[in-house]
Amino acid sequence: MHIERPKQTPSQSFQKKMKATMSESSELKSSKTKPGVNRGLSILDFILRLAAIVGTLGSAIAMGTTNQTLPFVTQFIQFRAEYNDIPMFTFFVVANAIVSGYLVLSLPFSIFHILRNRAHGTRVLLVFLDGGMMALLTSGASAAAAIVYLAHKGNAKTNWLAVCQQFNSFCERISGSLIGSFAAIILFLVMIFLSGVALSHRRR
Amino acid sequence: MKNAESSAINVASETTNSGPIGKKKSTTPLLAAEVPIRPDRGTHRMKRGLAIFDIVLRIGALSSALAAAATMGTSGQTLPFFTQFFQFEASYDDLPTFQFFVIVMGIVAGYVVLSIPFSIVCIIRPHAAGPRLLLLILDSVALALSTAAAGAAAAVVALAHSGNSSTNWLAVCNQFGDFCQQASGAVVGSFAAVLLFLLLILFSALSLKNAH
Repeated sequence: MHIERPKQTPSQSFQKKMKATMSESSELKSSKTKPGVNRGLSILDFILRLAAIVGTLGSAIAMGTTNQTLPFVTQFIQFRAEYNDIPMFTFFVVANAIVSGYLVLSLPFSIFHILRNRAHGTRVLLVFLDGGMMALLTSGASAAAAIVYLAHKGNAKTNWLAVCQQFNSFCERISGSLIGSFAAIILFLVMIFLSGVALSHRRR
Repeated sequence: MKNAESSAINVASETTNSGPIGKKKSTTPLLAAEVPIRPDRGTHRMKRGLAIFDIVLRIGALSSALAAAATMGTSGQTLPFFTQFFQFEASYDDLPTFQFFVIVMGIVAGYVVLSIPFSIVCIIRPHAAGPRLLLLILDSVALALSTAAAGAAAAVVALAHSGNSSTNWLAVCNQFGDFCQQASGAVVGSFAAVLLFLLLILFSALSLKNAH
């Protein structure tokens, strides 16, 4: 029996070949680059966590070691300012300490995410805890910022005097310690964003 | 043209009539890779449930943010006594921190209103990862903003309630009781909005987890 093999036109066979190679390469591409991208995101997350530890710890220590004693003294009072005197600053130090402790404890999870790309459950947990810790840190930082603002400017209506004019170095120290905290807040935002992107990558 | 069509039909008939020896299926693994993987009904329903709960939480966050902004914005008290030159009054204008609070809560409430359409899109298409990721990021920004406003206002309200002896700041609430109460209520409302934003972030992350 003579089986006639119909000839494909050259353009048809070329199109078939192109489709085959394209779909093959796209499959290979998706299986190779997605774990690579996720790993890069996890490594970046780990680095940002380390930076946030430095920021929060630095802020806590800077605020916690502020005190200033003015050189003049009256018969009854010595003019001394400490971070203890204002409860919001105590809250700031405590919040920064808690957040830096949480960050240290979450470093193993971050390393686990670098090693295993498919660890979605722990990533969701980390996103939630990062959000909670960011809220705690932001509330502490903004409370301290509000008091620092009042210390700098005072308030005429409520008759609150600007304390910074007397306690110069105390004011400088407490203003500077806010910077590390605010930087850590921004790092937290970026970390949540990175975890979200890593979660949303499709798996085949 | 005609030749090409007829040749295509010939090829098909060739494979079906290939006989007992060559009866192999025309395997096309490359075509199979192009078929999208269908997710099962279970995750579909769960994600739709999460999306509906997400809208409910969003409306709750909107109402608490709006209530906080409105309560602080309308807080004001005029004391019934006055001297020859002053009338003793206090309103949220007098403290820049409270002004910051009202503005930021207004911005957050506006953001929640604008994000409701995205949430509706997520209900209609539960497996779309793009809007979910956008909502996750913007919700975390809104969380940061509202927590900042809440923390700052809470600090000033606490200061107004108890004063501070070291800095010689007097407790203003002893005179302006109503004003302090309204401000405290507004702060409580904004902390409720903070909690709702945190839950919204959790739900967005859960929905993204099974995004396929």
